[in-house]
Amino acid sequence: MTLSEITTIDGLAGNFTVTVEEAPRYVDQEKCIACGDCTEKCPKEVVNEFDAETGKRKAVYVKYPQAVPLKYQIDADTCIRLQKTGACGACEEVCDAGAINFDDVGRIHEVNVGAVVMAPGFEVFDPADSGVWGYGTFPNVITSLQLERYLSASGPTEGQLVRPSDGKVVNKVAFLQCIGSRDENLCGNGYCSSVCCMYAIKEAVTAKVNSPGLQTSIFYMDMRTHGKEFDQYMERARETSSVRFVRCRVNGVETDGTSDDLRLSYVNEEGRQVEELFDMVVLSVGLQTPKHALELAHNAGIKLTGDNFAATTDFAPVQTSREGIFTCGSFSGPKNIPQSVTGGSAAAAAVSDLLSPSRFEFSTDVSFPDEKDVSVDQPRVGVFVCRCGSNIAGVVDVEALAEYSTLLPEVVYVEKNLFSCSQDSQDMIEERIREQNLNRIVIAACSPRTHEPLFRKTLKAAGLNEYLVEMANIRNQNSWVHIAEPEAATSKAKDLVRMAVARVICSDSLKPISVPVMQKGLVIGGGIAGMTAALNMAEQGFEVHLVERTDILGGNALNLKHTWSGQHVPTEVGKLVDKVVWNEKIVIHKEFEVTAAEGFVGNFRSTITGKDGSQKTIEHGAGIVATGAEQYIPQEYNYESITRVVTSVQFDKLYELNEVHVRKAKNFVFIQCVGSREENNMYCSKVCCTHSVQSAIALKKENPNRNVYILYRDIRTYGQREALYKQARKLGVIFINYELHGKPNVAENGQVINVEIWDHVLHRLLRLEADMVILAIAVRPNGDASTLSKLYKLPVDGDGFFQEAHSKIRPVDFSVDGMFVAGLAHYPKPIEESVAQALAASSRAVTILSKTKVSLDGVKAIVDEEYCDGCALCVDVCPYDAITLVDRVADDPDGGKLIRVNQAQCKGCGICQGSCPKRGVNIAGFTMKQISAQISAALAV
Amino acid sequence: MSFEPKIIAFCCNWCSYAAADLAGIHRMQYPHNVRIIRLMCSGMVHPEFVMDALSQGADGVMVLGCHLGECHYRDGNYRAMDRSDMVAELLEDFGYEQERFSLTWVSSQEPDKFVKAVTEMTASIKELGPVNGEQAEVV
Amino acid sequence: MGVTTALEWLGSCSGCEIAILNIGEDLVSLITETLNIVHAPILMDHKYFGQCGEGVTLEIPEAVVGIVTGGVNNREHLEVLQEMRKKCKVLLALGTCATHGGIPALMNGQDQLESWEGIFSTVSTDPGAEIPNVEVPPPLDRVYACDEKVKIDMQLPGCPPNPELIGEVIVALAEGRVPVLPGKSVCDTCPTKREGKGMVDKVKRFINNVEFKPGTPIDEMRCLLEQGYMCMGPVTVAGCAKRGGPSCISARVPCRGCFGPVRRDGNQLLDMMNGLVSNGLDFKSVVDRRSVLRFSGAHGRLRPVKKRVARGKVK
Repeated sequence: MTLSEITTIDGLAGNFTVTVEEAPRYVDQEKCIACGDCTEKCPKEVVNEFDAETGKRKAVYVKYPQAVPLKYQIDADTCIRLQKTGACGACEEVCDAGAINFDDVGRIHEVNVGAVVMAPGFEVFDPADSGVWGYGTFPNVITSLQLERYLSASGPTEGQLVRPSDGKVVNKVAFLQCIGSRDENLCGNGYCSSVCCMYAIKEAVTAKVNSPGLQTSIFYMDMRTHGKEFDQYMERARETSSVRFVRCRVNGVETDGTSDDLRLSYVNEEGRQVEELFDMVVLSVGLQTPKHALELAHNAGIKLTGDNFAATTDFAPVQTSREGIFTCGSFSGPKNIPQSVTGGSAAAAAVSDLLSPSRFEFSTDVSFPDEKDVSVDQPRVGVFVCRCGSNIAGVVDVEALAEYSTLLPEVVYVEKNLFSCSQDSQDMIEERIREQNLNRIVIAACSPRTHEPLFRKTLKAAGLNEYLVEMANIRNQNSWVHIAEPEAATSKAKDLVRMAVARVICSDSLKPISVPVMQKGLVIGGGIAGMTAALNMAEQGFEVHLVERTDILGGNALNLKHTWSGQHVPTEVGKLVDKVVWNEKIVIHKEFEVTAAEGFVGNFRSTITGKDGSQKTIEHGAGIVATGAEQYIPQEYNYESITRVVTSVQFDKLYELNEVHVRKAKNFVFIQCVGSREENNMYCSKVCCTHSVQSAIALKKENPNRNVYILYRDIRTYGQREALYKQARKLGVIFINYELHGKPNVAENGQVINVEIWDHVLHRLLRLEADMVILAIAVRPNGDASTLSKLYKLPVDGDGFFQEAHSKIRPVDFSVDGMFVAGLAHYPKPIEESVAQALAASSRAVTILSKTKVSLDGVKAIVDEEYCDGCALCVDVCPYDAITLVDRVADDPDGGKLIRVNQAQCKGCGICQGSCPKRGVNIAGFTMKQISAQISAALAV
Repeated sequence: MSFEPKIIAFCCNWCSYAAADLAGIHRMQYPHNVRIIRLMCSGMVHPEFVMDALSQGADGVMVLGCHLGECHYRDGNYRAMDRSDMVAELLEDFGYEQERFSLTWVSSQEPDKFVKAVTEMTASIKELGPVNGEQAEVV
Repeated sequence: MGVTTALEWLGSCSGCEIAILNIGEDLVSLITETLNIVHAPILMDHKYFGQCGEGVTLEIPEAVVGIVTGGVNNREHLEVLQEMRKKCKVLLALGTCATHGGIPALMNGQDQLESWEGIFSTVSTDPGAEIPNVEVPPPLDRVYACDEKVKIDMQLPGCPPNPELIGEVIVALAEGRVPVLPGKSVCDTCPTKREGKGMVDKVKRFINNVEFKPGTPIDEMRCLLEQGYMCMGPVTVAGCAKRGGPSCISARVPCRGCFGPVRRDGNQLLDMMNGLVSNGLDFKSVVDRRSVLRFSGAHGRLRPVKKRVARGKVK
């Protein structure tokens, strides 16, 4: 349901009635083929909100080319016809599909659901209201979102960075951070938006790629690049893309009065007030909850935080205040892409937990007739040529093309359709397959990327194997791109059909492969992430084996006292342990470690070995790695020699015990980034800033006369944690910035500890006399990550943390199917992020465990035993380790060798095929024979 | 009649083929000389295909894959890159000009890059002339 | 009487003929019972233009089976080959020269005129020597494999070919069945230990011995390509294995590719380089890579390096 909004949610968890208001689209989704002719003809141009108002669109439009559904819509507010009956109507005239419906009306739907997930997202802060930035006044002040569009190849300037005012190429651009974030004066958004530092760096780097001479400067308060590999990215930006970072809050933007240049006044690193001119100023605007989402929250009756985000807790980060309603994405606080994707899966896990009793209740199986075996039959090719209204027929001579197709080898039937994808054409094709006894089909129409699934289904319905269809892309890659050359386009269309016919003749029926699933889960690691994942899987009804190396559940959380929002960690961990221990679906293996593993998705066999040497074998369909991380033991700041220099974790213990040194101490110095963000450990440990700030607050609250200093490089109290930072400053905690080249000096001097540091504000060396120095130690990857990595062939990144399959869109998956990652094993993170990731991992694992079989695409490497001779050239080229060398005759080493492809591991990339000198291995559906046939056919005339 | 080359372009399903589709949606116009063959990965392109195409009369061969680091299959495009360096050099061994082969990275969101690559390749092949145009074999 | 058979040699070194002799004792029954040799310049002085030179056309007696060795280098070879084709029902190309050009086809990698000038006017030739134009048959533009010039019914490569396989072909022909010949690569017959080729990044020149423990069998030695030596086993058709493993590899020497490409129309150079780069080996570490075509330079594979003026920019 698109163009729809929720107005009310009635009922209780498990049985909600949701009222949805659907606005009219004025374009029939069933009929629209997204050809774009309506937009072409529409006379009304309006500002394009997708281009952040940098470009124009028409009144009938599709928001962006990748929109789902890819169906056009009419903007009733600007459409000439909808504003005035009888006027215009150009789109209706030009639409061959007859999809325009000016009489469309809105609808109200009532939906009965068991759970609701709220993911209304965010809007960017509008800087126009706070006049100081000149946004809306000076044309060359733009927002980061607008810059994003300017830098996009599909944006208004096709990636060229030019000034809106005069079209001049931009040579010098400034980014101002924290516009609409960390700012209670101008906008009231006190929180940190978390994502702007990173996106500003990315934009600066991208802009520089597009225009190499560009000078980029980023004005910031703290660089908050706390995400995985973000600090490395920042260092690269500084070094290789020459991005200049200036630590200064700029107060406003002015013009120089004579040109369109913009003037910034700021205090530079030397403490001098300077003025500098820029061609363009980019405002790194923050994230906020949009008004409609606030209304939604109100309608749904869920609580919001003071920052207007959905209220959640650290141990249930996707659960809103109302049972049965969950949330993910930036609605529950500013988040970047991987966190949002993780949150999405986590919400799904929470929903499945709630609704697991009714799993599969509403799903139905589609049945298809038995497949005809055509392997020995002479090919009988049917060619269906689509006119696509006038989209193809307007350029390509469809008659000539159809006639030509009849002459091609093995072609026995040719037909033209107005729209091959329409339902009646589908029925017709199905009928022709039976009637003409066709066993290979070519559809000359649009792109297989969008329409192949549809035609495959048609073949299945006609009792043909779905892989016996081939599409000739004569629209997207022909008629649309050679509009002015109908003759050349017609001759190209003939080539494309000829190629498709040649290829489909060589096509074989492929069977989708399915492997049975062992419906049990394995979780490695019994910390918060591991327990949360295990519990969620178990509550969804699956048996889970939880393997913990030590004799106690809880992991690193056993060292923690409070979450950033103040939840008491020991209590919550205690509850979690209880639930895990008492859940009869969870088998706990304490003092065990995984020592051997084999198998693949759906069918793993892991051997665990106990401290006493005993071994057990666990069969499982999916596995979650939640092995946590370790504390860094400092080598610096005389940690080993001075007793009162302690780590943050040690300090928590001492503080809790009200130890005498802590009790008597007056001066506390916290040193941040101990073991983080430097040479060989160029990553942020993410949790230490908040941790130190919290400790400082506690110390100050207890006794305001204490002096508490925090020596930091960037304070990274991201998101709503910013409130803690503010509170600490209010309480008089003194924050002193240092740079990597001027790390503090710590030396014992009798009863006190001297801490020397260069103060960048005062521009002089400071000497603090501390009674206690607390080192905010780094989170280090587990030393034995590499062992586990070898067992399951899981990649580990340069820092030693486990590497997810894709940093943005697959944040909990491993590239090895069926294995997932959660918690500190992946990267340092606070509890609520660990919990979310654990839920997400569970959710992803359950997508496998909930099925009795996993079906795999038929596009796989197939060994041709006649040609493969076991030379092993392809073994190491396989990115998935799916190829092994085996004896041709089992147990006969003299009988020669050949390769074996593990079908579950193979993804069908064909790198093996591209390496083989003898065609000994082929990708089903993309065989050497098929491709060669296509090449020959392309060049046959 | 002017020389209209035939160029074979191997496009990866996940990026360049999608970019070519998107170029169509944007109605970007480009020379009609390219015949696209869709593959699952640029790493699937066997160098034999390049030689076969040229020997069967293709005037140029293009491989278009995902940007480095964005391969759908981890590192297939690195394989394509390693192979293409080799193929370009070996082309000379087999009597073809290196310019008859090109490798380009195009993401699914870069129809402009696709169009540019195809347009430039066509122009450069036109300048180069037909394959084997000047070295018809003496028998 | 046996099957009438004609033997001919074109651009050949007679190694193939020696391979026939090496069939050993079985040869006696082959040439006395199975075959009836009606024409064989290597054995019998049978003139082409009549025994006393009285003929005007080149003539070879008719035979059921024709066996040609050597490639087609000059006009004489071409005429003899065409006459063989005319007179023989089944024509067998024996040896890598006949099937893929062999060593003589290395010439294809050079400029022909330059090479001839080099041959006839080096320091050792008399001053004023010229490229002869009488008595010596004029060369063709390049060296051809037999199947580039006439239809060939059966190919048996090898430099030299394996006597055992020659025997098999002859017996099969006599028995009217398809001979059983290897179709896979040298690796198929190679017992060395293989794990994958991704461990090395460069090809080493064969200056030092390969790694192996003296006295241990071949199957305890690591694959030579995996040791970083340029072993052409994967792209070369099998057939050389006589006692256990492939001949060269049994002698702890990497395969030189003398049986020609594994697929009949395969390209040893391209396939070998592809095999290397696909596994992350630097193809530039191969010294004189064109020599990978040292045995299969016919079929237009090996060409003179074109001295060309760079046009346009190289991408």
